[in-house]
Amino acid sequence: MATPAVRTEHLTKRYGSLLALDGLDLTVPTGEVFGFLGPNGAGKSTTIRLLLGLARPTAGRAWIFDTDAGDVAAHHRLAYVPADVALWPQLTGAETLELLAATGPGVDRAYRDELVDRFALDPSKPGRTYSTGNRQKVALIAAFATRAPLLVLDEPTSGLDPLMEREFRRAVRHARDRGQAVFLCSHQLAEVEAVCDRVAILRAGRLVDVAGVPELRRLHRTEVTARFTGPAPDLRGLAGVDVLAEDPELLRLTLTGPPAPALRALAAAEITALTVREPGLEEIFLDYYGEADR
Amino acid sequence: MTATTYPATTTRPGRGPGAAGRAATRLAVRQVRRSALVVVALTVGMSTLVAATYASTVGDGLDAGSLAALARNPAVRTLFGEPAALDTAGGFTAWRTGTVLAVLLSVWGLLATTRITRGEEETGRWDLLLAGRLTPAGMLGRHLAVLVATLAGTGIALAAALTAAGTPVPGAALHATGLALVGAYAVATAALAAQVFPTRAGATAGTLALLGVALLARMVGDGVAPLGWLRWLPPYGPLALTRPYQDDRWAPLAVVAVTTVALAGAALALAGRRDVRDGLLRTTTGRPPRLRLLGSVEAFAVRRVLRPLAGWSAGIGAYFLLIGLLADSMTAFLTENPRFADLAAQAGFAGLGTVRGYAATLFALLAIPVGAFAAVRLAAFAAAETGGRLTLLQAGPNSRTRLLAAEAMTTAAGVAVLVTVAAVATWLGAVTVDADLSLRAALAGTWNVVPLALLSLGAAVLALGGGTRAVAALGMLPTAGGFLLEVLADSLAAPSWVSRLSPYAHLSAVPEAAPDQPAAAVMLALTGAALAIGAWGYRRRDLRP
Repeated sequence: MATPAVRTEHLTKRYGSLLALDGLDLTVPTGEVFGFLGPNGAGKSTTIRLLLGLARPTAGRAWIFDTDAGDVAAHHRLAYVPADVALWPQLTGAETLELLAATGPGVDRAYRDELVDRFALDPSKPGRTYSTGNRQKVALIAAFATRAPLLVLDEPTSGLDPLMEREFRRAVRHARDRGQAVFLCSHQLAEVEAVCDRVAILRAGRLVDVAGVPELRRLHRTEVTARFTGPAPDLRGLAGVDVLAEDPELLRLTLTGPPAPALRALAAAEITALTVREPGLEEIFLDYYGEADR
Repeated sequence: MTATTYPATTTRPGRGPGAAGRAATRLAVRQVRRSALVVVALTVGMSTLVAATYASTVGDGLDAGSLAALARNPAVRTLFGEPAALDTAGGFTAWRTGTVLAVLLSVWGLLATTRITRGEEETGRWDLLLAGRLTPAGMLGRHLAVLVATLAGTGIALAAALTAAGTPVPGAALHATGLALVGAYAVATAALAAQVFPTRAGATAGTLALLGVALLARMVGDGVAPLGWLRWLPPYGPLALTRPYQDDRWAPLAVVAVTTVALAGAALALAGRRDVRDGLLRTTTGRPPRLRLLGSVEAFAVRRVLRPLAGWSAGIGAYFLLIGLLADSMTAFLTENPRFADLAAQAGFAGLGTVRGYAATLFALLAIPVGAFAAVRLAAFAAAETGGRLTLLQAGPNSRTRLLAAEAMTTAAGVAVLVTVAAVATWLGAVTVDADLSLRAALAGTWNVVPLALLSLGAAVLALGGGTRAVAALGMLPTAGGFLLEVLADSLAAPSWVSRLSPYAHLSAVPEAAPDQPAAAVMLALTGAALAIGAWGYRRRDLRP
């Protein structure tokens, strides 16, 4: 098997008494777009800082293509976009891109020029005059233009407008098609759903789940609406079934886990119409974190 | 999850009309209180020390003849101001500490002002506050009030301390008021500059340049009789004209007070008429790229140091040119008035009687600004880390050691440039007045302080590696701190081991004496150790933000 782009083994980070990350085990293969989700303070940014060697782990280890994440040699094969991009105020966009090209892991200048056009960046302005979105564009262009085998993106589109977000998704797909891996940390669930192959969900420093988006849906509440005539089907006491509404001719319920028992119960009734709706990632997400609060 | 119930009072928007303003005042206080305490302690401590030890250091060794000679000598007047009432503890204290404290208070005032006004605005933190009920002028006014109140408090403490030390009340009140007003003038000027320039660095540099010109005007006005009117240019000149403990003239302070009020008023008026985060001077909205010195981490470190280095070179160059120009008249005076040479020796300036001795003494002082340059450069590097500007470089294939080494090497090169500039400027001045100082001797003298100045670099790197925020302060400890320690130890006749702790005690007076090579080697070794430990800590620790 090819070397994974990212691998962590029991990665742990403690800040004083706060356990920011608790024994994270994760593998991201090359060529995969990997979504990294979690509420604020779940440990996403801590994980990224550990992967980049900006912070040192309290326990455990992380590798970027089999190079220890703490070793700067790993940075020859990755590019990074921070959540809050800070640029040197006196350098223009073009100068910043040039600096990052010269000090980064490499650059495809033709692709960089294309990205400057596609993201509609005016590179002649000094860094201090750029808005949040424009600073993000500078960092995104620099990262994509490296063609690095691994892109680590922390909330990369939080300041972008929908048009630019479309360009971003295009660039991510393009990167995946070239075999690059993308580690994408985002709150924009529609975006994660659109571009990610697999998703990891983090809560309070611990990994809750890692799965492909379709699997995640299957694992989670499916909403079922059934119309019927005659006596209502009896679904009480079935595991994983939660009846939301019960009218004389309509039944709405959510289903978690294997649907067979519920379908058998429904089959006993005279069903006239049946709709099954898979949950969106947002609902899955809220499911995970809603539970934590209860 | 546990539900938290907030007391109903906190959900009401403010408590009365002044609540928002009071919150802004508290914010300003929190931002300046630590440095303010240091400034008050230094001002009061230095003055009290000099006044209290006057009887033992000077006593009645000054007769009318030597005092008159001192007052006439243009070199003395240029460097230390026109002496007045030196035969009293108060007059001597005002003369001896006046210029230093005036510079200290004004530089603190200007740096604090640009930091808490333009600096906070630049980072965007004022956006949040100004979205509330506070107006830009209201915010600025509150911040200025806190700074001016701090300076007023410093003045009151100083007047009380000088009175307690036994000097007459009118002189103490005048001297303390003058110093506080000089600080307030710097605050008002910086506040106005913060409305004009769109960046903190621009506002700071602009105000510093203006104060530098004002100090030069005071020096020239004191030294050259026909240009005496230059001393009416605030703030340092009028302070010298007050002549506390002798004439006790309040009128010159009125000039400073009126200018201060006008400057502050202009700043407040302009604050409401410009866009937040913009200055009246607009930065260009776009320009063609300048791609030089962007090719590597090292080149970029050089690019970032060039502009600050030019500023430091200009300041240090101007001062040492003046030192060179004064070399002859100063040494002649001290040879003719040995009592003053003794006094100077007690204050840490021995051997002022010859040009080479005079130059050697002033070259020793060079370690302080050059050490400050090194400390400030490393502090800027730490600020770039905290501000996230280094993150993209750190995420590239650039090791932390390499990033730090680039910064430290560039700073060390800057140190070399500054001492060379000082030597050339002194030599040019000396050549102009036909004083006996060769370029070779000047270079030997200024390069002699390099190991001491590099100790500051080592201390700053050590602080950076430890992850503390006080990089600039710790960096200046070996140079400015060491100088202060030696002067204090000498003035208080402390046991000799106390002053031997200061690196200054181990600096020989080059070019008058031969360089102390073992001491220089020890300093370089200490610097090397500090750099190594600092780099080790920097490699291991978590980076901010």
